[in-house]
Amino acid sequence: MRKLSIFLIVFISTFLISCQQSEYSYDETPQGNLDALWTLIDQRYCFLTYKEQQLGIKWADLHAKYSAKLNPKMSRVQLFEVLCQMLSELRDGHVNISTSLDLGRNWSWKEDYPENLDIELRKQYLGTDYHIGSGLKYTILPDNIAYVVYESFSNDIGDGNLSDMLSYLRLCNGMILDIRGNGGGELSNAERLSRRFTNEKVLVGYVCHKTGTGHDDFSEPQAEYITPSNGIRWQKPVVLLVNRSCYSAANTFVRNMNEMPLVTIIGDQTGGGSGLPFSSELPIGWSVRFSASPYYDARMKQIEFGIEPDIYVTLDDVLAVEGRDSMIEEARRLITEKKEQ
Amino acid sequence: MKIKEVREVGSLRSLGKLKDVSFCILKYGVPKHRHITPHNFFNFFNFFLLLILLIPTMLHAEQTALEPVPKRSPTARTLLFGVGRTNQFDSYLSPMEYTGLQVSFLTRSERMTRMTNRHISFQSSFYGAYTSTDNPAGTADYKGGRLAYDAGWHYHYSPVTNLDLKGGTLVGADLGFLYNSRNGNNPAQGRFSIDLSLSAGADYSFSLWHIPMRASYQADLPMIGLMFSPEFGESYYEISQQGVGHDIVCAHLGNACSLCQLLTLDFCLRRITLRIGYLCDIRQSNTQSLKYHDISHSFMFGFVRHFQLMKIR
Repeated sequence: MRKLSIFLIVFISTFLISCQQSEYSYDETPQGNLDALWTLIDQRYCFLTYKEQQLGIKWADLHAKYSAKLNPKMSRVQLFEVLCQMLSELRDGHVNISTSLDLGRNWSWKEDYPENLDIELRKQYLGTDYHIGSGLKYTILPDNIAYVVYESFSNDIGDGNLSDMLSYLRLCNGMILDIRGNGGGELSNAERLSRRFTNEKVLVGYVCHKTGTGHDDFSEPQAEYITPSNGIRWQKPVVLLVNRSCYSAANTFVRNMNEMPLVTIIGDQTGGGSGLPFSSELPIGWSVRFSASPYYDARMKQIEFGIEPDIYVTLDDVLAVEGRDSMIEEARRLITEKKEQ
Repeated sequence: MKIKEVREVGSLRSLGKLKDVSFCILKYGVPKHRHITPHNFFNFFNFFLLLILLIPTMLHAEQTALEPVPKRSPTARTLLFGVGRTNQFDSYLSPMEYTGLQVSFLTRSERMTRMTNRHISFQSSFYGAYTSTDNPAGTADYKGGRLAYDAGWHYHYSPVTNLDLKGGTLVGADLGFLYNSRNGNNPAQGRFSIDLSLSAGADYSFSLWHIPMRASYQADLPMIGLMFSPEFGESYYEISQQGVGHDIVCAHLGNACSLCQLLTLDFCLRRITLRIGYLCDIRQSNTQSLKYHDISHSFMFGFVRHFQLMKIR
């Protein structure tokens, strides 16, 4: 009996000691939080090798560089600034620290470039009697061209909305799809809209994800296809208006539309943001967001820094004073030209 | 005409030796010709109340209890409620450990079979838990839920009087989730596993202050099975697109070392056998470069009923 009791105690104790996983615990000092953040990005961020090639960032060097800026008595605000500076080196809009103080961000992907969008001009083209189909606003311009504005992929659109819209616009000569300023949202909305512009299954890109903590530990890229919708599909020329503010899901939508035969993309290069973001946190309790799964185009090229348009067009300030949007006007000209051909 | 009668075994002294118990303390089955008196109406009411409480157990475990099997050993059914603390860690959601409250229930049914001269018992358990935990800084929380079922056989051996040792195997299935309201594209982790466990335990009957008591201990150790685990950085968007085929992995002692221990004490209060206990449930895994643990310590309390189905000719 006694031997049995000893055996049980030894067995259970051994189990508890040997099987307990090591805790991922850090202290709440500035150094502890910087270590946690650095390790998180080092192990889970998906563009470290690519950013090293494009921007010359060596993530291993940044730990020492920013550790030197810390001191044990610094305030939370100061710590927040140092951590944000370290993340800013990645130049990724999907990398943020979220606190009750502020949202740490690097928005250079749009802030360093002309906006090429005048909301007031857009309103003039839409007028006041435009239709609203969930997240879509649309009207018919005087030259019988459909003008559709989609401001955010966070605004859900359903198949019913799309069918009703395309039915209403069916007699138009072409469509201007204006997604300038669209900073992304739900990928499912981007896919649902893309399906209205193809009559056959189209390869639009690839996606993979990290399988381990190494910088280049990725799964096999999985092909992504857009299959035609069973509802009404658009069969006429489409001009897609883009600018540097097209980011994340909007960037993925442009990638999809780039493979559609009737679509011409005009405007500025998109903002990029091709990494599907994940969330994590720091010991101090701040939330951290980072790119975890990279998306590629149909030729397996990175689109993290954006997609070039077929035709570069910028907003003309002189025309804007006259109440005309040079990008929309160029789109109208293209559609009219294609119709005449 | 045969009428099934359900009888409760009321003698706690006989708990250690289920095959030798004496019956007929209360009758819950009322023959057709009897009038319903206030006394047996009360028993009837108790019976249906008990039925409602034990629905999960009756649904999953004792389907055969409705079958008229002659000379069947009594079935011990336990319903326990628990409250305790839990420590959760899931590197898919966060690198931090979350701690907080857990409430749970456990229903267990056990009876001796006629195999090997009634040395083998059949046991089935149904466990459910809800957890609410916070990160160390108190800025985020997890909500979690879990349902688990297992069933299997134990071989019993009594080396000394009043001591009953048992060992056997259990087959189980586990379903659960952990949800972090603050995360974006990785807001939750789903759990599903099936496994084969080794199980061992001991029962010891004794008296204290002239009150018959029984102390029990049981430990279940999952040995091998299958479990769902996404890859290190795989999003649920990808999983929904590509399916979960590559996310089903083999779980074994090397990568999913878990242990569930239940220590209980039974004692009698009037006609009711009460049970209090301590449940230590350790769930761990380290698969696809993702680490997880859920370690809970709960105080359990509830009651035990002993039934036997008999035929009246």
